[in-house]
Amino acid sequence: MNLGTRKLLDRSFTALGIGSIVIMGLALLVVLFPIVTKGVGAVVFKGTIEHRKLLFTEFHHGAARELEKEVALSSNYRQKAFDMLASFDKELEQMPPERQDQYRDSYEQVKAALRALLGPLPGEEQPELARFRFGQTRWDKAEEKLHNLLYEQKWDYSNPDVIAKPYDVSRAASFAGTSLVRLFPYVEENIDKMMLPEWTFYWGFITDNSLDAHFFGGIWPEIQGTIFLAIGAMVFAFPLGVIAAVYFTEYARDGFLTSMLRSANSTLAGVPSIVFGLFGLAFFINTLHVSESKSVLAGSLTLAIMILPTIIRASEEAILSVPKTYKEASLGLGSTKWNTIVTVILPAAMPGILTGGVISLGRAAGETAPIIFTAAVSVGAAIGLGDVLSSPTPALSWNIYNLASEHEAAAEIRHVQYGMVLALVTVVLLLNLSAIILRARISKKLKG
Amino acid sequence: MRKLGAVLTSMAIMAMTVVGNAGAATKGIVIDGSTTVGPIAKSFAAYFMKKYKVPVTVSESGSGNGAKSLINGSCDIADMSRSMKPQEIAAARARRINPVANVVALDGLAMIVHPSNPVRNLTAAQIGDIFSGRVNNWRQVGGPNFPIVVIQRESNSGTQETFKDLVMKGRQVVRNAETQASNGAVKNRVSQTRGAIGFVGFGYLDASVKKVAVNGVFPSAATVKNKSYKLARELYMYTNGRPAGMVGKFVDLPKTPDGKRIIRELGYISRY
Repeated sequence: MNLGTRKLLDRSFTALGIGSIVIMGLALLVVLFPIVTKGVGAVVFKGTIEHRKLLFTEFHHGAARELEKEVALSSNYRQKAFDMLASFDKELEQMPPERQDQYRDSYEQVKAALRALLGPLPGEEQPELARFRFGQTRWDKAEEKLHNLLYEQKWDYSNPDVIAKPYDVSRAASFAGTSLVRLFPYVEENIDKMMLPEWTFYWGFITDNSLDAHFFGGIWPEIQGTIFLAIGAMVFAFPLGVIAAVYFTEYARDGFLTSMLRSANSTLAGVPSIVFGLFGLAFFINTLHVSESKSVLAGSLTLAIMILPTIIRASEEAILSVPKTYKEASLGLGSTKWNTIVTVILPAAMPGILTGGVISLGRAAGETAPIIFTAAVSVGAAIGLGDVLSSPTPALSWNIYNLASEHEAAAEIRHVQYGMVLALVTVVLLLNLSAIILRARISKKLKG
Repeated sequence: MRKLGAVLTSMAIMAMTVVGNAGAATKGIVIDGSTTVGPIAKSFAAYFMKKYKVPVTVSESGSGNGAKSLINGSCDIADMSRSMKPQEIAAARARRINPVANVVALDGLAMIVHPSNPVRNLTAAQIGDIFSGRVNNWRQVGGPNFPIVVIQRESNSGTQETFKDLVMKGRQVVRNAETQASNGAVKNRVSQTRGAIGFVGFGYLDASVKKVAVNGVFPSAATVKNKSYKLARELYMYTNGRPAGMVGKFVDLPKTPDGKRIIRELGYISRY
């Protein structure tokens, strides 16, 4: 091969390498950008006065006097709208019955739309569910509901042979000639005075409990559950994995049994996580009865089994990469085998072992399938450290799935779901970061 | 070495605090089961935790799983959108568990289609034909020329079993039907698929999907209550024996005024 071709090949390989790194970077950006921007929307958003009312009555955040002032300010404008409803009520009473029937349904729809926007109308019974006790807490949602108040979406079914198309009908037009007509332009013009939107940093999203099945409030129980499960899994898997790796590398003789054990370990690493989940349910809960029901303990044990192979493999590699001379020097100075392992080999292998731990920790925090049947619930309060043995917990990974598919009002609370995704990514990142810092400090100590 | 020692000691201390605290922890109520009953159970749980300060956890894994959890003794209350099958009751008895049905609410099974679909009414026979695959175009049931996408629930679902009992009457659901794992997922799929038809509990209805009248009767609280809407069923919370204490208070919530209001606000129909 002449020099020219070799150079060309070399260059093209470099280009390929750079290209693939750029593609990876772009993919990361494409994935992370929406996660971060949408997720931040759960914490930083334009909150309405309803949000501040909610925070004050349910979570005791905020100042009473300021809130009162704001409520007074907004009720001035709201009252006018309510007066319009009241005057239409009177007008409706005096209409002949057939005209009443004509308006009844659409009037109910208007009231429902207004209720969704501003909360319960005056004179109505206070609803039991928090989701109906308050109007729209977020300005972006309020604008959506305003649109619902002003326009009715209808579908053009005139041609039964084709799939219909949607079109908007102004509600004001359907009330033409009545006093209610004034309501629509009035609300549209004064909506910001009724809702008083302002930029809000809702840190409570991270620290508050959820209220009314994630409609309001924060995701602290989920964050805490995720941390408990991940750390719990590490507490079981890390010592076990390291001890197993020491056995494989230092004690086990090469033979049929050892090679069987090794390949069993590799196979275990490739088992789908849902299998671990079902195994955890069948073994830890139904057979061993580690807890009466799902619990953090059962979930941690299941996750521990799932991440064990990774930890064993990583630890084995790390131990094998410790130079033979270390061991020989230690043994040559008269140290025992056990002493050599604990004082020489393990500390030298620790950075590599911790790398395996870091990868496993991230996986334990993010897995959904193993905890569905063993630990995760869709609603529950934050549990104390004392409850981990017996109580199940909400966890980010499972609740993201729950909010995405099962929740009865998934479309209304997308922002909570996005916030959870960002929180999960951040929790995994932080857990990894702390493990990486620990590893760096250990390596530094070893060098110095 | 010192590091390792420190890690081990801290682990030991953590383990000890955990064991030490465990005795002091109050035992909560564990609820598992149907996604249809889920919204009620979740709202009841929130209400209960606020009122009695008893921790309540709710999982929504389907009626079948709820029954299994109760049989295995791993939950206090099993939410079910169908009644227990004889073999489930036998399995429970074998484990000395005595399943008792507590009716929570009435619920209708609403047939839903994409809002763009002009079809307003289907007969029970037509629905059966659609789900068994004998009819596969909306034109055959008075709609536009558009293929039907059948969406069903998984075998674990009580809603699916109720649907099969009430509509299919022994016929098999067509093999190319799409299976979704929860009411929410069915609604989601139908709201995004033009030719789709599916069924969900009343608590999941909203403007993103269109309800279809069955045999000319529109699904609503009133028509379920007066029994003119045929696709209706009772929702249950199964317990082991007649429960006393907090669990008993919980399953009796549907009889209290506050409980009735929660059920109504969620879109279900109070039985009491």
